[in-house]
Amino acid sequence: MKAVRDCVLAVLLLSAGPPVYLSAQDSVRISEAQSVLAPLVETYGVSGAEGPVREVVKRLLPAWAVSSTDTAGNLWVRLGEGGPVVVFVAHLDEIGFRVTGIRDDGTLELETRGGFISSLFEAQPALVHTEKGIIAGVFIPRDSGFARHTPPPLRVDVGTTSRAATIARGVGPGGTVTMPKQYVRLAGTRATGRSFDDRVGSTAQLLALRRLDRATLKHEVIFIWSVREEIGLEGAEAAAASLGTNPRRVYAIDTFVSADSPLELPNFAVAPIGRGAVARALDNSSITPPAYVDSLVQVARARGVALQIGTTNGGNDGSEFTPYGVVDVAIGWPLRYSHSPAEVIDLKDVVSLADLIRAVAETW
Amino acid sequence: MIRRKRGLSSLHVGPHPEGWARGNTTLKRLLGVLQHRAIPGPRLSVGKTAAAVILLLSARPPVRLSGQSVDQLALRFASMTAVTGLEQAMADSLRGLFPGSARDRVGNVTLTLGQGSPKRLLSCPLDEVGYVVGNILPDGFLLLRRVGGATRTASPLLDQQLEGHRVTVFGARGAVPGVVAVKSTHLTRGRVGPGTPDPVFTVDNAYVDVGATSAAEAQGLGIALLAPVSLAKRPQLYGERLLAAPAAGRRAACAALAAAVQAKPKVKGTVVVAFTVQSLYASNAGLASVKALQGPFDDIKTAALPARYGDTAVETVALADADRLVREIVQWMEGR
Repeated sequence: MKAVRDCVLAVLLLSAGPPVYLSAQDSVRISEAQSVLAPLVETYGVSGAEGPVREVVKRLLPAWAVSSTDTAGNLWVRLGEGGPVVVFVAHLDEIGFRVTGIRDDGTLELETRGGFISSLFEAQPALVHTEKGIIAGVFIPRDSGFARHTPPPLRVDVGTTSRAATIARGVGPGGTVTMPKQYVRLAGTRATGRSFDDRVGSTAQLLALRRLDRATLKHEVIFIWSVREEIGLEGAEAAAASLGTNPRRVYAIDTFVSADSPLELPNFAVAPIGRGAVARALDNSSITPPAYVDSLVQVARARGVALQIGTTNGGNDGSEFTPYGVVDVAIGWPLRYSHSPAEVIDLKDVVSLADLIRAVAETW
Repeated sequence: MIRRKRGLSSLHVGPHPEGWARGNTTLKRLLGVLQHRAIPGPRLSVGKTAAAVILLLSARPPVRLSGQSVDQLALRFASMTAVTGLEQAMADSLRGLFPGSARDRVGNVTLTLGQGSPKRLLSCPLDEVGYVVGNILPDGFLLLRRVGGATRTASPLLDQQLEGHRVTVFGARGAVPGVVAVKSTHLTRGRVGPGTPDPVFTVDNAYVDVGATSAAEAQGLGIALLAPVSLAKRPQLYGERLLAAPAAGRRAACAALAAAVQAKPKVKGTVVVAFTVQSLYASNAGLASVKALQGPFDDIKTAALPARYGDTAVETVALADADRLVREIVQWMEGR
């Protein structure tokens, strides 16, 4: 029976779409970026349930790195000595749902974790993450209101018909719910997947650490992979409180939501993908002082790193540090179709971002 | 909760009754299946067997389907794409499954079993509502037009399922992955107020992004006008042998028909098995052409299975029902 099940699973995996592949023309840097990013993207970690992602990050750290996890769940790597302390922070979590209840008919009631367009999950395969493992199901399509884009609150059908049967499968309130996701290469150096926000930031920090020349560090540098960013920057809040006024600067490494799409207004946020990292100089949570943006540009220019400057929407973890007198220099990479199952990036921007993080750590 | 998939002609009973799942009996059986099963389904862990199967299948020769169970066939069929009128790839796979089968001038795959009278026809529609490339923009984005679904009552949300999801473009040089653009939720903030219209997404708003930066780059991937496009197929098993996928009802019914043929029944008289194309165009053109080219028939049936969440990406069938359909087809072929 297990063999049959495994065969079925294999067919499912194969039919999920084109396999991850490396283009023949990929450079070593693009290949390395993909080798770190792909496993992170294909790991699930809704806000508050980031454990699996954190473990993948730990596995991908360079051998010399010593990590620790704080009580909030943030992962820390500290290196260098002396002041001024600078902090880099990227977040581990992704948007999704949490189970809030089980109806008499066995279906699951949900609450959202993070902000997104709920119709993107309607009538899609679902994965319920439980302590016993992953339970497959489907997000139930609406049965009325067909003239509206927005569906009613979503529920999940796990193939049972009673509350008791659902509970017997290990599903209960507090479990998280996602949809299957896969990292897939597109044309050129582009790729699609879900939760690039902020697995790209997490990847860039890992890539920077791998190439960092520790001997050049002039002060302490802290790399943090934070939790619960999507539901209110909660992990960063805890990290900022623990560091207090010690840091001089914080570099929030997070998505630059780009208007590089035929559907978006061109008023702002027009940072095309494939043209490098982006100084996220102004968003809904922070403003980088212009002198610091200028410094960032100089660092990038000195290292020959592609850098764009822009303004977009959204908040970033660095803003939790500013009340302690820490300057937030938010840096991102351009992302199309944010918080959707079909986010699109250009791997060249991941490399650019990693190089910029390294340059900042070594020279600023 | 469960409704029959529209567009299947199995309830029609006339001089040449077309229909396998007659009346309410199959419906009631499926209701029973769906409402009384509470057995844990497969976990998403990959065992050694799965790894071996992946290795074997990922070599990707022409799709081999022989000797598979109805579950395997249903999964495989559900992962295929056969946009109505453009079913050739799936038809080729079926021809590989059934040596001696033929493809007629319309594209139907037919196989004749037995000989003499009575002469009967058993069919299953292969096709699905889908899309083709309607235009390639200078910046490399593709625009679409829908194929099929115009002559029947398609779900008003059929196109909306494209928005923000991965699609496959079947180009001349193979399958090309892409996505359909969606507005970034962050950039809508502050721009959408209470009372703002909330229209459904239509295919006219579907910009397909394959990663190309120019029309020439898209064309270099083998993409041209009329290339078929479908949602990336990701069949999902859940519950107790429930299969969710676009057009799962049709695909599972075709799988049952294929499994019944593979069972090598002792056919009474002649049975023409037809996997038909273009059921969604020109008054079921595929089936009509089989009748015209190979008829007359003493009896005609169409394999069908009831489904819930019809016309969605998670249209769901119970594979236990497919088992029963296999048995019923075998009995019918044998004249029992």
